[in-house]
Amino acid sequence: MSSPLSARVPILEARGLVKSYDEGRVEALRGVDVQIDAGEYVAISGPSGSGKSTLLHLLGGLDVATQGQVFFKGSELGKAVDLDSYRSRRVGFIFQAFYLLPTLRAIENVQVAMLALHENANHRAERAATLLEEMGLSHRMRHFPNQLSAGERQRVAIARALANDPTILLADEPTGNLDSVNSARTMEILSGIREQRGMTMIIVTHENDIAHAAPRHIRIRDGRIEL
Amino acid sequence: MASQLSFTGFAWKNLWRRRLRTFLTLVGITMGIGAFVALVGFSRAFEHEWLRMYTSSGIDIAVVQSNLLSSSIDESLSAKISAVPDVAQVAPMIFNLMDLTPEVNALVYGWRANSFEFDSLTLLSGRRFHDGAPEILLGDLLASNLGKKPGDTISILGTNFTVVGTYRGGSALESGAVIMPLDQMQNVAGMEGKVTAFHVKLRPPPVGETQDAYVKQASAAIEAVLPDIKAVPAAERAANNQLVDLAHAVAWGTSAIALLIGILGIANTMAMSVFERTREIGILRALGWKGRHVILLILAEATALGFAGGLLGIGIGWGALRLLSSLPQTASVVSASVSPMHLFESLIIAIASGLLAGAYPAWRGARLSPVEALRYE
Repeated sequence: MSSPLSARVPILEARGLVKSYDEGRVEALRGVDVQIDAGEYVAISGPSGSGKSTLLHLLGGLDVATQGQVFFKGSELGKAVDLDSYRSRRVGFIFQAFYLLPTLRAIENVQVAMLALHENANHRAERAATLLEEMGLSHRMRHFPNQLSAGERQRVAIARALANDPTILLADEPTGNLDSVNSARTMEILSGIREQRGMTMIIVTHENDIAHAAPRHIRIRDGRIEL
Repeated sequence: MASQLSFTGFAWKNLWRRRLRTFLTLVGITMGIGAFVALVGFSRAFEHEWLRMYTSSGIDIAVVQSNLLSSSIDESLSAKISAVPDVAQVAPMIFNLMDLTPEVNALVYGWRANSFEFDSLTLLSGRRFHDGAPEILLGDLLASNLGKKPGDTISILGTNFTVVGTYRGGSALESGAVIMPLDQMQNVAGMEGKVTAFHVKLRPPPVGETQDAYVKQASAAIEAVLPDIKAVPAAERAANNQLVDLAHAVAWGTSAIALLIGILGIANTMAMSVFERTREIGILRALGWKGRHVILLILAEATALGFAGGLLGIGIGWGALRLLSSLPQTASVVSASVSPMHLFESLIIAIASGLLAGAYPAWRGARLSPVEALRYE
C-alpha cells in the first residue's frame, strides 16, 4: 500500500472544469477532468470552437472557470496560488498571433516579461540577449516586431515565454501563422527546449502531424474530452 | 552591451509613440500651471507689496468703512481719531486705480502735504506738492514708464496736473503710483469731504507691552469712538483688504479653471491610451504583470506628463510675470518676484494633477481580464 507521501502529485490537474459565457447561454467547456504530469508533452486538438484554447487559458491561469478547479502541484489556482504570480513564475505562454509589443525592440520584448519580478536591469538584459541568441536571433535583437519575419517574431515570443524560467510551457496554435518551413523550425525549437529543460509542455493545435508527434494527445469536442 | 528596458523607459516609449497627442496634452497642463504661477504669483506679490507699503510708511492702524470695497468715510472723523490717547498722527487718504493714458493705469493716492506717510518716501527730483494746488508727485517707476519729469503736465479725469517731483517708494505699489493733494483727489474722484481711509501712527507702546497687543488695544479704542467703522492693524489690513482678497479670488478661480482643463486633458489622453492599448495590457497581464504594475505604469506616464507640464508651465508663468512687470500698462501693480516656495508648490500641483488624472484610467486598466483584453480587436 502506498503512503500519501509517496503518491505522485500531477503538476497540473483540472477537476470538473466548466466555462460558460453570455450568462450561461454558451458553454465552452462542459466538465473537463485532466491530469498532466511534470515533464509531459501533451497536444490538445479539436475543431474550431471545441474549447481547446479555453482549456489552455484555464490551465495557464489566464481565465477562471465558471465551475471546477485547477490545481498546480496540488494547490488550487486562484486560492492557494495567486494567478499573477503563477503566470509570471510558473508558466510561459506562446500565442498564434505572437503578441509582441510593437513599440519595443526584440530584446526589450523579452525583458518586459521580467520587469514585474523586480530583477536587476543588467541581469534582465543579459538574460534576454542569451535567450535570443539561443533562438538564433542575435543579429535581430534591436529590431522592432514589424521589422521581423513571422518566424522570427514567434522565436522572440518563445524567448519571452522562457524569460522567467517557467516549469510549464503553454502554446496556443504556435504554428498557426507560420509557413511550413518556419512551422517545422518552431516545433524543432520547442522540442529542443522541452528535452533540454525537462519542461512540461502543452500545445493546442489543429494540425494533425503536430498532435500525433506528441506522446500524449487529448482530443476535445463540444467542450468535452473525447475518450 | 545589450539594451536595457527599465520601467520608466517603458513608460517613456508609450508616451513617445503618440508624440502629437503627448505634445497637445503637455500644452494643456502647461497652460494650467502657467496660469497658476502667473496669477497666484501676482496676487501674492501684490499682497507682499501692500504689506511693504504699510510697514515702510510706519502705519500702525488703517481705519476703514466696514466690509466695503470702496470705503467712504467723513473726513471730519479725523479729529475724533486724533483724540484717542494712544494716537500720535492721523493721515486721511484716498486711493483709487485710475487711467492716466489710454494704455497706462496706476494707483492714485490723495494725501495731505503734511502726511507722515511722506517720511518713508525718498524725493528724487523737484519738491513736495502744496495742498490746494493742481500738483502731483510721480513714483520713479511710473515717471519712467510715462516719460514724465518735474514741470510736465498730466491730465487726470479732465483736470491738468503739474508734475512737481518724483520719488522712490518703499514698495512697487508706491513707486508705480501718483500722489496728489487730498483736496484735489476729492474733487477728481467726486468725494468732497470724504476719504477712503485714515492711516494712524501710534505713540510708542508703554514699557512692558508688546506692539501687537498695543495696536489691538488702540484699534479697539478707535472703534469704540467710531461705531460702524473698522480699525484694522496694518499687517492684517495688508493681508485681508478687499483688493488683495479680490486679487487672490480671481487668481485662484482662474487658475483652478485652467488647471481643471489641463487635468481633463491628461485624463482624456490616459483614458484613450488605455483604451487603445487594451490588448497590450492583456499581454502584460498574461506575462504575469499584477494589476498594481499596470496601475504603476499608467500613473508613471500621467505623472511624467504632469511633471513636464509643470516645468514648462513654471517657465511660461514666470516669463509672463516678467513681461507684465515690464509693461507700462501693468508695471505699477505687477511684480516679477516669485518665491521659490510658490514654484515648488506649482510643481507639486502639476505632479498631483498627473496622478489625479491618471487614477481612473489606471484603475480601469488594472481591472481588465487578461483573456478578455487579449481578445480585444
